Amino acid sequence: MSLPARRKDDAVDGEAMAAAARRPVRYKCTHVTRYHYGDTVISAHMLAHLAPRAHPRQTNHNSTLTIIPWPGVVTGRSDWFGNPVTYAALHTPHRELKVTAEIDVTVSPPPPFTPDATPGWEDVAAQAASLAETLEFVRPSARVPLADTALTLFAAGFFPPGQRVGTGAMDLTRRIHDDFSFDPTATTVSTPISEVLTRRRGVCQDFAHLMIGALRALGLPARYVSGYLRTLPPPGKEKLKGADASHAWVQVWCGEADGWIDLDPTNGRQCDTDHVTLAWGRDYDDVCPLRGVIMGGGGHGVLVAVDVEPVDDR
Amino acid sequence: MTYALAEPSRDSADTRDEPWDEMVTGDGHVRAHWQGFISSGAADGASMAERWDAGRRLLFQNGVTYHAYADPQGVERPWPLDPIPLLLPQSEWHMIAEGLRQRARLLDRVLADLYGEQTLLRDGVLPPALVLGDPGFLRACHGLNLPAGSRLTLIATDMVRDRDGIWRVLASRTQAPTGTGYTLENRVVMSQTLAEAFRGCNVERLSPFFEQLRQTLINLAPRCSGPDGCPRLVLLTPGPLNEAYFEHAFLARHLGLTLVEGADLTVRDQAVYLKTLGGLERIDVILRRVDDDFCDPLELRPDSILGVPGLLEAVRAGNVMVCNSLGSGLTDSVALIPWMGSLSRHVLGEAPLLADVPTYWGGDARQRAEMVAGLDRLVFRPAFSSLGHRTSFGAELDHAARTELAASIRRRPQDWVAQEPIVPSTAPVWRDGRKVARPLVLRAFTCATPDGDWTIMPGGLARISADERFASVTLQTGAGAKDVWIVGATIGQPQRRRGSAAMMPDGGGDTGPRTGDLPSRAADHLFWVGRYAERADAAVRTLRAAARRLTDDAHPGAEEELVPLLRLMGFTGMIPMEISGLPQADAVRGMRQALEIVADPANPGGLRATMDRLRRAASGVRDRLPGEFSRVLTVLGDVASQPLKAEPATMQLRLDEVSRLLASLIGLELDGMSRGPAWRFLVLGRRLERAIGIVGAFNGCGLGSGTAGTVASLSVLLELAAAGAAYRDQHPVGIRREPVLSLLLADDDHPRSLAFQIKTVQRQLVKLPPIDAEGLAVSPTKLANDLLETAAGMVADPQPTRDPTALADLTDRLGRLLPEISNLLSQAYFSHVFARTT
Repeated sequence: MSLPARRKDDAVDGEAMAAAARRPVRYKCTHVTRYHYGDTVISAHMLAHLAPRAHPRQTNHNSTLTIIPWPGVVTGRSDWFGNPVTYAALHTPHRELKVTAEIDVTVSPPPPFTPDATPGWEDVAAQAASLAETLEFVRPSARVPLADTALTLFAAGFFPPGQRVGTGAMDLTRRIHDDFSFDPTATTVSTPISEVLTRRRGVCQDFAHLMIGALRALGLPARYVSGYLRTLPPPGKEKLKGADASHAWVQVWCGEADGWIDLDPTNGRQCDTDHVTLAWGRDYDDVCPLRGVIMGGGGHGVLVAVDVEPVDDR
Repeated sequence: MTYALAEPSRDSADTRDEPWDEMVTGDGHVRAHWQGFISSGAADGASMAERWDAGRRLLFQNGVTYHAYADPQGVERPWPLDPIPLLLPQSEWHMIAEGLRQRARLLDRVLADLYGEQTLLRDGVLPPALVLGDPGFLRACHGLNLPAGSRLTLIATDMVRDRDGIWRVLASRTQAPTGTGYTLENRVVMSQTLAEAFRGCNVERLSPFFEQLRQTLINLAPRCSGPDGCPRLVLLTPGPLNEAYFEHAFLARHLGLTLVEGADLTVRDQAVYLKTLGGLERIDVILRRVDDDFCDPLELRPDSILGVPGLLEAVRAGNVMVCNSLGSGLTDSVALIPWMGSLSRHVLGEAPLLADVPTYWGGDARQRAEMVAGLDRLVFRPAFSSLGHRTSFGAELDHAARTELAASIRRRPQDWVAQEPIVPSTAPVWRDGRKVARPLVLRAFTCATPDGDWTIMPGGLARISADERFASVTLQTGAGAKDVWIVGATIGQPQRRRGSAAMMPDGGGDTGPRTGDLPSRAADHLFWVGRYAERADAAVRTLRAAARRLTDDAHPGAEEELVPLLRLMGFTGMIPMEISGLPQADAVRGMRQALEIVADPANPGGLRATMDRLRRAASGVRDRLPGEFSRVLTVLGDVASQPLKAEPATMQLRLDEVSRLLASLIGLELDGMSRGPAWRFLVLGRRLERAIGIVGAFNGCGLGSGTAGTVASLSVLLELAAAGAAYRDQHPVGIRREPVLSLLLADDDHPRSLAFQIKTVQRQLVKLPPIDAEGLAVSPTKLANDLLETAAGMVADPQPTRDPTALADLTDRLGRLLPEISNLLSQAYFSHVFARTT
């Protein structure tokens, strides 16, 4: 399935936003995926990462997953990375499948982060290579293969010798936002990082993979985060239903003191209470919101509608 | 500390630099355990050539092959068995076996820990990077709750014997180890070609090991879903294109497992089912030969078409047992070898009994230093099996290559291991008519037993390096193999018989074709085996008829009959139309040219191409056909692959041979197979193809165009239908249109008439399980029966025998109706709706 990303110029800066970002925010999110098939599907197996994982800055109140037609089997468990994952299988012949995730979470602001106070990147890389918590996020993964020369050189530009890991990572985040165009027509789910780097365009998923690849090229641990981003309507307009989208960003490990810091290269900034986390892993493949294998079906079309609504929690 | 697993060394100190000779001591004496073999005369040069030949013939006929992926044609290569076995004394083997048992216990517990609690990582026994950095560690398999001791059912261990006589472990294969089937086939051949020596040496039998494997699989079943209260077991193969497909089919048949491919299985309600003709049958145990990450496209590699979506979920639910457990490729990692000693002490509290080839992993600073220091000496390999198996010999690298290797180790040290270069022991090998010493690697097999213990196959697979130098020994690089004989201490002692040995004799692995659940895919293949066999037969008949008419002793009128034959050959796509339409004056020249074209192996309509299709269809159902069937096919393939000469007399001789072989396939169909669904699909394919061929011959000979047809074309039709004699008996007056057509269309006593084919198809079709309409307007089986009824009525009608227009109408309608029946069968029984990832 394709992952539409939010448009990066949707983010509106302002005093009100800044104040809001310092308070916890409760969200109701709805994520509807509809598949239409050209031919009857006899059976379908699904794996969904569509429930928000709990972590220190995020509380999951109540989240549900509804699948129509009704699946014969639904099981839930925690995956290797600690994300909730749901398996569902259905054997009712169908031409249309609708998966609705309803999510109710509260997101707290991140603790203060001073990039210039983080350790030098070489020390972080050396430490990360042997720590169980970080080493698997340094190694190549299915969607982020070993960096080629172009990517390594690109990455090295942000991390001169002795550079603070946080500073380099923030520079990288901003530069991807500034120099790359958000263009949903430029890439597909299988566009390799090298092409994103050459063409300088893509969507949030591409930018996240690019940034992860660049960090790993230097031995720095980076995780792929799947989730949602709250958007504001253009000034004076009503917010459109279903206009939000799945989003993806990056966590970079900045040493034991700071731990994992969420950075959003699509929007060129550190993540805050605008970001709702679903799951994290090595790359998109580990946390794909909805993966399925079907029998039959012929051609198919997908429609995705996402709503991210802050609710008054006071 | 490590115990030496060797007989006390009898070598004198000054020969230490030489490799260990398996047969002869350093001072030139034949080792004690070889003496029985030598005195039997089995190793004499004179008889060796003869036996080598006999052995090769047996292997060839048994169809023992492996594929080479590198070969663009995907050709099967004959299995390169050496005529001299490797002998090892029982006393030495017992020590090796003890070591292997300990190693199996250890690996099983290590896997259980790494896919569970991971105390080994937490306690610092293993560096986390060794496991979490291994692409073979499948995160989706973490937390699979499996009964203790059930992670590994079958293990292969590769060992080499060092100059000091000690066997050292080179690598373990814990994922889906290959070789047990080839080992058994080696034994079948050796026990026949060296029958006397085999008896005289008191060789340990292999069959109890396989019986044990079967028992273990049965005991692992979480429930018994079979018809008679037994668990239903399958062997999951990647399919006929896999390099070891022969072994999969052989082993499935020997162990009594149903051979299945991923598409034959489906997961419902967290349980695995086999799609058979009769519906879904629940599966309890899967012995898999598909690699870990290909087993489930939902949770593992999404691009895999070899697996079963939802399999992991079925395993998680405890509804099926997959052997070896999913994720077990992790312990294949060579990078684990340096930790074997400490793991053994930590996990088992025992010193390791087996020695390992000294190995260094680049992820560890101290070992990396050893590695870098040994750049000019060590053997370098990728650390994790998923990174490939490319081996570099430090001693053979030039300066540039060594610098490159050093840089690549510096860049990604954790992806490299280095092993000390062991000079492996040598054994005599039969090469180009003489005995030469060649290095060897021994593959031993370990099988879990139901009581949580392990048993070692008394024997194994010795693989021979292709040259004197010790290269990496793989099947892909074209090395040879030896049977391994564990010989008793006392020569001539009577056979030790075990309870089950009689059930599965070493020498008679062929337990007959499988008759159980027939997967839909197998039915499909069988149907096409029938069709291609018949198509080949029809082509050979046509060519023989043509070649005969070009020879010197051709009968009068032969030239005239070349015209319909040429047309028929054009019609069936053997030759281009411009040749097939030649008038009688040019017919001889045209036919000579036609034979040239048919003989061309590159011609897609030629005999060779049809034979290839037949072989491919049959290779997918080896386990369903009588062993003799495969042997005939092997010989057929061999005959068909030799260059065909267009010279008529020579060609005729070759065609006679092919024809005899094809006829023996028909004989086996009639007399060598029980009348189950497998047989039915074979017959349906053959009869439908023959019916389609008869209608084609009518059209090809010009009878489908509304003309009366010449005497020449009628007599050709009679000849192709093998009906000449029958016709002359009934109608001595000569060739007349009406009785000829009546015989070919409606005579249901004649096995090559249309009526006969249609009746046979009708008779077999009703015995197949009916298929529900399920979303279709009419059930496909019902529709096929209706069409057959119509066809039967049409051929029984005498009008077309008299009226050329009615005949043209008949051939036209049958020409469309018969292929439609074939399509309906496909739709009803074979249609695979393949799984797709979204």
